[in-house]
Amino acid sequence: MTPEYYLVLAAVLFTIGAVGVLIRRNAIVVFMCVELMLNAANLTLVTFARINGSLDGQIMAFFVMVVAAAEVVVGLAIIMSIFRSRRSASVDDANLLKY
Amino acid sequence: MNDIQLPPIDYAALLPMLIVFGLACVGILAEAFVPRKHRFAVQATLTLAALIAGLVTVIINRDLEVTTIGGAVTIDGAGLFLQGIILVLGIVAFGLIAERRLERGGAFVANAAHAADSDGDKKQLNEAGATEIFPLTLFAIAGMMLFCVSGDLLTMFVALEVFSLPLYLMCGLARRRRLLSQESALKYFLLGAFASAFFLYGVALIYGYAGSVQLVAIKQSVLDSDKSGVLLAAGLALLAIGLLFKAAAVPFHVWTPDVYQGAPTPITALMAACVKAAAFGGLLRVFNVAFETTSWDWRPVITAVAMATMIVGSILAVTQTDIKRLLAYSSIANAGYLLVGVVSLGGAVGSSMFYLVAYGFSVLAAFGMVTLVRDADGEATHLSRWAGLGKGSPLFSAMFTIIMLGFAGIPLTSGFSSKFALFSSAWDANQSALVIVGVLSSVVLAFPYLKVVVLLWLNPPGDETPTVSVPGYLTRAVVGVGVLATIVLGVAPSWLLDMVNSAGTFLAK
Amino acid sequence: MNPALTGVLADGGVTTGEAVTFWILAPIALAGAIGMVLLRNAVHSALSLVLTMLSLGVFYVLQAGPFIGMVQIIVYTGAIMMLFLFVIMLVGRNTRDSLIEVLRGQRVAAILLGIGFAMLLGTGLARGIGSIPAVGLAEANVNGNVEGIAKLLFTRYIFAFEVTSALLITAAVGAMILAHVEKKPGEKMDQKVLSRARFEKGNYPGPKAGPGVFATSDSVATPALLPDGTFTERSVSKVVPARELTIAEARPKAVNGSKEYGAIK
Repeated sequence: MTPEYYLVLAAVLFTIGAVGVLIRRNAIVVFMCVELMLNAANLTLVTFARINGSLDGQIMAFFVMVVAAAEVVVGLAIIMSIFRSRRSASVDDANLLKY
Repeated sequence: MNDIQLPPIDYAALLPMLIVFGLACVGILAEAFVPRKHRFAVQATLTLAALIAGLVTVIINRDLEVTTIGGAVTIDGAGLFLQGIILVLGIVAFGLIAERRLERGGAFVANAAHAADSDGDKKQLNEAGATEIFPLTLFAIAGMMLFCVSGDLLTMFVALEVFSLPLYLMCGLARRRRLLSQESALKYFLLGAFASAFFLYGVALIYGYAGSVQLVAIKQSVLDSDKSGVLLAAGLALLAIGLLFKAAAVPFHVWTPDVYQGAPTPITALMAACVKAAAFGGLLRVFNVAFETTSWDWRPVITAVAMATMIVGSILAVTQTDIKRLLAYSSIANAGYLLVGVVSLGGAVGSSMFYLVAYGFSVLAAFGMVTLVRDADGEATHLSRWAGLGKGSPLFSAMFTIIMLGFAGIPLTSGFSSKFALFSSAWDANQSALVIVGVLSSVVLAFPYLKVVVLLWLNPPGDETPTVSVPGYLTRAVVGVGVLATIVLGVAPSWLLDMVNSAGTFLAK
Repeated sequence: MNPALTGVLADGGVTTGEAVTFWILAPIALAGAIGMVLLRNAVHSALSLVLTMLSLGVFYVLQAGPFIGMVQIIVYTGAIMMLFLFVIMLVGRNTRDSLIEVLRGQRVAAILLGIGFAMLLGTGLARGIGSIPAVGLAEANVNGNVEGIAKLLFTRYIFAFEVTSALLITAAVGAMILAHVEKKPGEKMDQKVLSRARFEKGNYPGPKAGPGVFATSDSVATPALLPDGTFTERSVSKVVPARELTIAEARPKAVNGSKEYGAIK
């Protein structure tokens, strides 16, 4: 076994997340799928840090976690405010803007 | 461990960004400590002061070429010019954001935590809008400035998020039609987060290929790496998805019309002018610095995206019935023209930046005038409501006509000179196919603009034609500056063309 | 770093211990991810995503990144996912995803697209990396992983590090704007004000009578009788539409054994 198995696992996780974004309806679950994609990117970064022998990949993964934390706060606040107004967190119900 | 030494920092080079970031933090503190009745004046002054001080320092730095703070920031001619564009357009957009005379309390909701249409929401209808908008705007603009001068992809990712998060928030803060506004915030947020995940995965793969995320190091490893190019190609493709999303290129454009329509119009103007400049600044830097030597790999793809963007944007613009959606599709088509500049690489950097300036001023004036056509429910954006406005408000209609003719690319307007400069430099770079598609699509795109002009002047006014509000001096200044720039850059563009051409290089070492 | 502790050989190769751990945890991570997408209850989705994230945390530790592994567990599973769970509990615990497709064929198209994307990426990665030996982090971690990270974080990435503060401020301000209802000075109701209002003249301070109390009928639409004999409209829920009862409805209900209404034996 070589470290590239981790990369393949990360690619599969990333794809599952992307497919989840496309097929799920609940805004919160869609957002969790995005988080899964970020995690897959992190696994790739950490594995490449090992393959390349430099810590930059781990630092980037660390930054991604900080950015994700901020993004989650903003995103969940937006979802909350929508839910308060219309009592639904389904992205299908967010359909006023159509032409 | 005492061997941690700070890298050399050129504070002068960072000063424009430090000023804007710093005053944004001061604005947050002012929000906490300044009494409510003085807050608006304090925040507006702070914001304007930050933007102007930033612009002055950018101008003082104009000849600087330096890579500083451990390679995270590369200040060069093109980067400084892009920062300058963002600041100037930011100052103009500030006029729309701070306008409070058109509507009691401004375009933003007083307390966004009240659910839309609840009792609390009805009570706050006439209260002054939230002043947190101003520091958030400053954070967004500072993030855009950093995005254009990032020396590595990690800094670029952080900057991308720094300017995206405030925009997601501000999209949801409209005073009227709050459900639409919140919906646009949700759509922008979910799709933006999706796109930035792709961006990040692309960064990860490129890091795997090059062993570094610094743009110059990537360029170097492209030349002498022994790894398979598959990693690089996949990484670049995913990275481009993230960037093209912010630039609103087809097929990553679907958010644009919805978000432009639902967001408060001043924020829409900020997105159309400044975010476009930042996104293309980032695209130009990445492709010119890191991936210039692999242009054979990515050029066909980006060419296809550019063509699709021009064609889809201009054709869908024809079918729109809402002025904000029309301007959104026109912004998509304009992203296509700007991509022509990206594909043409080095020689077209200057004319791309010229295009960003010309388009930015026109689009700010256009959205500024959209805020003026109002009825009892706020802005009347449906095109049928605009019929016959020329009878009652000839000055307004004349100005809007100038902007529309500018967008349509009629000679003696900035639309013509900027398209001409861009297409001729693309022609010189042997991108004749793109130029032909560009010219044809701009002919198609002229149709919806002229339709609006005909609607304004030749159609009879309907029963419920809304009134054109008397603009406050801020909106008046924004519209005046925008129209003036549209004419001046059309009649006498040479001084700015000289400036962009002398500035138009990226530091690649 | 002790290789026995982290499982990583000095040259970046994989020890047997690491391989065994990988083959145990990778299916768990995959199952968590697939479960998150397929489970229809949002709470279950969140919990299975936690499973995936914990497995990834172990992978980071295995790959000579103890710091990032711990941060993954503390920040991602501990903070971010718990925030998700809080919000799910607040807004959508009972909502299940509908199975109606709004865009026809979107699901199938998305899944096919995903499989194609994964195969493209997987084969590309396998071909691209296969020949390159891993360098390993023994040299970079020679003074310890945390020290190595600190050294990079405060030199090469110092600017990005400082700029993330803008992100955190934005996040805090954003949450305040969207979720915090600011009370005006006059609107704030403290204990004193509330109890004054309760004992004000014309207000009845005792608990309100329930519907049907002291009444001839136990319908919720029947207003309660106050001790002084008057009806109190406050006891009737506003949700219930007011209507006259028919005679049959108003009559006392039958008790066990009797066949007719009102026939009390």
